[in-house]
Amino acid sequence: MFEFLFKYPGSVFRKGDWVLLGSWPAWALFLCIVAGAAALAFTAWRQRGRTAGRVHGWRLAALWALQAAMLAVVLTMLWQPAITIASLKPQQNIVAVVLDDSKSMGLNEDGSTRRDKVLNALNGGLLENLATKFQVRLFRFSGGLERIEKLDVIKSEGNATRVGDNLAQVAAESATLPIGAIVLFSDGADNTGGVDLETVNALRRQRIPVHTVGVGREKFAKDIEVADVQTSPRTLADSRLAAAVTLRQRGYTDQKARITVKSENATLHSQDITLKAEGTMQTETVTFNAGAAGVKNLQVSVEPLQGEENPNNNRVSRLVNVENRKPRILYIEGEPKWEFKFIRRAMEEDRTLQLASMLRTTQNKIYRQGIATPTELETGFPSKVDELFSYEAIIIGGVEAGYFTQTQVELLKQFVDRRGGGLLFLAGRGGLSEGGWHRSPLAELMPVTLPDRKGTFHRDPAYVELTAAGRDSLICRLEENPDKNMERWKKLPFLADYQEAGAPKAGAVVLVDAQVAGRKMPLLVTQNYGRGRVAVMATQGTWRWQMTQPLADKSHEMFWQQLLRWVVQDTPGHLVAMTPKPVLADDSKVVLRAEVRDRNYLPAVDTKVMANIIGPGGAAEQVELLPDPVTPGTFVSEWRAEKPGAYVAEMVAKKGEEEQGRDVLNFRREDGVAENFGAEQNKELLQKLAMETGGRYYPVNALGKLPEEISYSEAGITIRETKDLWNMPAIFLLLLLLRGSEWLLRRRWGVV
Amino acid sequence: MRVRNVIVALVAILTLMSAGYAFQRRSFFEEDEANIPLPPDASEKTEYTFARLRYPSFRGGAQYWSSRGNWTVDYPKADRQFVQGVRRLSRIHTKSVEQVVDLQTDDLFNYPWIYVVEPGHWDLPDDQAAKLREYLLRGGFLMTDDFHGTFEWDIFTASMSRVFPDRPIVDIDNKDAVFHVLYDLDERFQVPGIIMFYTGRTYEYDGVEGKWRGIYDDKGRLMVAVCHNMDLGDAWEWADHPQYPEKYASLAYRVGINYIIYAMTH
Repeated sequence: MFEFLFKYPGSVFRKGDWVLLGSWPAWALFLCIVAGAAALAFTAWRQRGRTAGRVHGWRLAALWALQAAMLAVVLTMLWQPAITIASLKPQQNIVAVVLDDSKSMGLNEDGSTRRDKVLNALNGGLLENLATKFQVRLFRFSGGLERIEKLDVIKSEGNATRVGDNLAQVAAESATLPIGAIVLFSDGADNTGGVDLETVNALRRQRIPVHTVGVGREKFAKDIEVADVQTSPRTLADSRLAAAVTLRQRGYTDQKARITVKSENATLHSQDITLKAEGTMQTETVTFNAGAAGVKNLQVSVEPLQGEENPNNNRVSRLVNVENRKPRILYIEGEPKWEFKFIRRAMEEDRTLQLASMLRTTQNKIYRQGIATPTELETGFPSKVDELFSYEAIIIGGVEAGYFTQTQVELLKQFVDRRGGGLLFLAGRGGLSEGGWHRSPLAELMPVTLPDRKGTFHRDPAYVELTAAGRDSLICRLEENPDKNMERWKKLPFLADYQEAGAPKAGAVVLVDAQVAGRKMPLLVTQNYGRGRVAVMATQGTWRWQMTQPLADKSHEMFWQQLLRWVVQDTPGHLVAMTPKPVLADDSKVVLRAEVRDRNYLPAVDTKVMANIIGPGGAAEQVELLPDPVTPGTFVSEWRAEKPGAYVAEMVAKKGEEEQGRDVLNFRREDGVAENFGAEQNKELLQKLAMETGGRYYPVNALGKLPEEISYSEAGITIRETKDLWNMPAIFLLLLLLRGSEWLLRRRWGVV
Repeated sequence: MRVRNVIVALVAILTLMSAGYAFQRRSFFEEDEANIPLPPDASEKTEYTFARLRYPSFRGGAQYWSSRGNWTVDYPKADRQFVQGVRRLSRIHTKSVEQVVDLQTDDLFNYPWIYVVEPGHWDLPDDQAAKLREYLLRGGFLMTDDFHGTFEWDIFTASMSRVFPDRPIVDIDNKDAVFHVLYDLDERFQVPGIIMFYTGRTYEYDGVEGKWRGIYDDKGRLMVAVCHNMDLGDAWEWADHPQYPEKYASLAYRVGINYIIYAMTH
């Protein structure tokens, strides 16, 4: 219908340029229209008296508007409007037909696979039709691009869908070939993060339109997918670890599902959940013990539900390096107290953390425990950077701020900010505001604004209550099940004392509140500061949890072990090796990154960083990481993991012959998994790609106009066509409509 | 008439005996039962409280023993005098008065350090022995004092074996932290009670040699400090008495403070 009325297909109007072929300029047309309209207005004004009052006001204006519009159309036609458009020269251009050959194209929907639907469309006349106008080149792609001669090699066995990379490769070929357009057949289930801006810009620069043909269901009827799992890539041995599991489901709203975490076939955790609304991202946090040191390949899965269309997207794996290090914590306490004893006992149960403590037993004596050598802490609290920075966390118990020298205070600040250590303040007669900490330079580090007064420490009972943040925190997780955990916290015995810690600062997280006579106040507050972490625990009375509960109850030990693990766990060494993707799903590109700090934990310069990578089968390779010009102390390299399997990269930083630091990074390449995820047709991606390159999106079952649409392209070898518009049937109909309308109105108003 | 004379004579004798008794110097034994007023800061809330254990006494067939020993010996003067020393000689925030606890209620668990005197006369039933075991394994500390000789040792161990059937009572090594946590106590000696003023000996019965013994938990931490053939309680109680030798009082304070600080650090 459109083409009947307007003579040409819509793409001609979208892509073409509008011109006036008449010899007179466009402004003359405008002047003529204005002058003509004015003349018509004058005439109508003069004739109004002859209508015996039947035509006046808005009726007169309506008749004038119809006459003026008619005049404007006629005048415009006299100026010969037309469209000029580039179109491909027949048989001189190549049309690249690019076919998705990834596994997701083999999904069976409505009785046939996506691949079959594509092949049927191509064999049903489309290829033949294209071949009459263009030279057709066939390509298939999944991980890489390959030219093919026949369609029968399409098997849907590729392990990845890299739309962007492969389109860029086709575009690159246009430098030597007259590629007029690309026709992409795909479900759009790209698993490399989509089409990057660089590729789109390259296509636009070369003016190659990408016409996308979408295949596959946009929504599965019944499916549950593990969309993502976020967990810490490294942790300490025997630590509780959290994994945020993001699910997406269709067709199972309000049904029960079970999340399972496994490592080497051993189940670490299993948890039942209720599925939320269809299509929404649902994130569930599961916690489990990381176990003994070593690299753990965690398999996080949701058990398949009845009738699920794609059960292969129910499982993802994540690599966690359970480190063998034993971080040292320094605990200074101002006076003997039961909390000190029971914290030490909790740490004695922990095989990973090492607690060195110094306790002021009298005014002039310090009792040291947990020291590694007889000289450790012999001269008191460390005053030298290398001595203090050898610890990974500091606990300041009930010690007055004035006990520390200015140098020690500055070192403590740098310990958190620069070294990235953890700092924990405890309550007490000499703690927090009672010890004058609110006026110390270290008050800036604290997650609370301490009260500016004395009398904040009370030896009175206080009950504890988890906050919403505390409910999700690993520090406060005494039970795996969040609801049971809340109940257990409610049943904890009251604290022997509490201290008013003031208001939490912006960005701080309150995990536990103290309840005193119906009043709530922050008890455990944490926040990050610089590269490190700071926490305030406003009591010294949790020892009652140990003494007044049965011996088998481990609440006290677990809480302190988890709190101190939080304080110490992320304290970096001199070299921190990392990669953004420890699990490469059908991908080989791995980015190696190292953050290197010198002895004083300043960004290292003049340093050489080498990675010794050992891959599957023991194959070893040395890779040098180069300094990142933007971030001092950071070294980066890209490397290809050519084979699937586990890789270990040991990075060593050296300045001359002196070793500055070393760290081990684990990553893993897994093939044959990426295609299982995001398998619904990504129509949005395909539409966007077509729109941004000047192409058009087609469903696979509506490709009739594709060959003609392809003709209009500015890529390849083109000719410029001029298409007259004056003889469009639509114009003739418009003139008839205008004149007919005027005649009808005059008849109605009796002024014919 | 004879009966009347006998009665008069008895009354006269009793009157004379009473008068004579009244003119005698008050004995050590009587003074520790004197009514000592509460210190003005008795209600202060503190970190550490001297907790004295009340226990059932041994009654089995030996009336002599049962009439003599019980949990109140030296109470409360020894307790209050000792905590003054704890306050003066350490940074422990200490309550000025003692707290009596027993094994019949759970209040015991609010006091992670307890003192028991004359355990050579205690007789713990099974349920109380079980509670004491639970208390110690949770992290509580018990100091036992003022029992002497083989006979009292046997009575002590009879109850203690109900608390810990499988844990031996061993001599504490000189190098143990409990003797060095604040004061270095390598040179220790028997601390006698006031009985030495009557007998002229520093020991009682066959308890000739002072023994520093203890019971440890699975991680090598001392849970029970056993001061056998010694009377540190008397040394605390009579430290202010000019006749009681300073060297005994001094050692008793140092040992007691070391036991407390050990309990607050281990």
